[in-house]
Amino acid sequence: MELALAVALITAKVVIVTAILLILPIPLTWLERKIAGHIQQRLGPMRVGWHGVLQPVADGLKLLTKEDNIPVEADRRLFKLAPIISLVPPFVVFVAIPFGDSFSLLGAEITLYISDMNVGLLFIFAVAGLEVYGVIFGGWASNSKYALLGSLRCCAQLISYEIPMGFSVIGVVMLAQSMSLLDIVNAQADVWYVVYQPLGFFVFFVAGLAEAQRIPFDLAEAEGELGAGFHTEYSGMRFSFFMISEYVVMVTISVLCVILFFGGWNGFLIPLPPLIWFILKVGFFIYLFMWFRFTFPRYRYDQLMAIGWKVLLPLSLANILLTGLFIV
Amino acid sequence: MGYRTMATDDARKRNWIGWVFFADLLNGLALTLSYLFSKTVTMRYPDKEKWTPYPRFRGHHFLLTDQAGKIKCVACELCARICPCSCITVVPHEDQNGERHPKVFEVDTARCLFCGLCEDACPVEAIALGQLYEFSAYSSGDLRVGRDELLSKPGKTRQGGNVIAARLNTDEGVRVEPKEEDEDGHDWWTRLRRK
Ligand code: SF4
Ligand code: SF4
Repeated sequence: MELALAVALITAKVVIVTAILLILPIPLTWLERKIAGHIQQRLGPMRVGWHGVLQPVADGLKLLTKEDNIPVEADRRLFKLAPIISLVPPFVVFVAIPFGDSFSLLGAEITLYISDMNVGLLFIFAVAGLEVYGVIFGGWASNSKYALLGSLRCCAQLISYEIPMGFSVIGVVMLAQSMSLLDIVNAQADVWYVVYQPLGFFVFFVAGLAEAQRIPFDLAEAEGELGAGFHTEYSGMRFSFFMISEYVVMVTISVLCVILFFGGWNGFLIPLPPLIWFILKVGFFIYLFMWFRFTFPRYRYDQLMAIGWKVLLPLSLANILLTGLFIV
Repeated sequence: MGYRTMATDDARKRNWIGWVFFADLLNGLALTLSYLFSKTVTMRYPDKEKWTPYPRFRGHHFLLTDQAGKIKCVACELCARICPCSCITVVPHEDQNGERHPKVFEVDTARCLFCGLCEDACPVEAIALGQLYEFSAYSSGDLRVGRDELLSKPGKTRQGGNVIAARLNTDEGVRVEPKEEDEDGHDWWTRLRRK
């Protein structure tokens, strides 16, 4: 009985988190288009629903009814596999992410996370690293120049930014003396780690921008030079899989920024429910991503590599060194 | 001399500090943020607003009448001759008083390129291009406009170049009707932010 209840609880949590993550791209695309519009003195979507809120639904329906094109020369099996491979890891990452502490419901203690792993951080980086396969497979299987170039770029970019990103969180792990995200958040009850780790946060944030393929690091789908990069040949639902995964990765990076450096659900000055604090902070980071997108131009490929290897990597190493000295 | 080096040193120091703290990127972000909260310039055509063209605008043709209400056109066919698209058909007709008037006067607006040459060529200023621009149709045959319809088309107005409040009406064709309460509208250009 006890076991059945536990299994039911976990299943319910997984279903809820998955549903939220699947639905989240809908308000996010709307928000992104609205922000884009207003930054350019436009109104953005306006005609479907109140202020265009239903526009993403209309777009989703459109994508559903689109013809599903597979190029003749494409590697059909890989081509079909790639969107799924790129979609699954961002969802799996959320297994290890806590959204808050626990609360009691009907006398039972319900935790706001699916699992609290003692190697949570490591798990997240390992799984998130798998996403690159979807992009590589997609570009390779399409058998087209643009797609291949896009996926090559993406591959090099993700691999080179994974390293400073991994190093930048070592400082946090050293301070919290744990890799469990729950412990990391609890250790920030008094002071957020961004105070102790400004350099670490900077490196993490920039590398996160690159990992999420957001401007100014969205070279894999540089519209101006590569058509649409690795998903040039995709249409309909398969294309929307890539889009959903992109938004979920953006949410993941925002959530990680908040958990690792901005105290997770720990409030500050204003007493609000922890979950509200968490959502507010994540929302701020998501807004930041969108704001960046419509402000900055894209970096050149060699600049991208130079930033990754010549700036972020030494900075993240220096950060580890400084943190070590600081702790001793 | 001393002043000058100091100034350049100062500028260099500022540049260096600015470089470390991404002053240029922050400037860009501040600019886009201020744009985010500035007024939008989108004209909400066809739902809420509509553009009234300037009097010089070349829209749908119309035929003029004289004071007596008779059609001005004398069916000289000059407009038909000069028309680069050959889209005007004029069939002249002489009435009892010996006055020439068109029996058939047809403009194929589907082929017309709205160059306005017909207006320039007309010796009696009987034809002109007005400010009407909403006359889409489902079939190109519907775009052939005959004499009586041309006589009933709206002429030129003095004002123009404004955005006025309007509403969309799709009962017959697609028409955006201006709302009465907002005759003058607002000048779209003043809303543009130029910085
Ligand atoms: S506007 Fe030009 S193209 Fe149109 S009917 Fe007149 S002369 Fe012909
Ligand atoms: S509209 Fe003018 S130019 Fe054309 S036939 Fe009549 S009088 Fe002649």
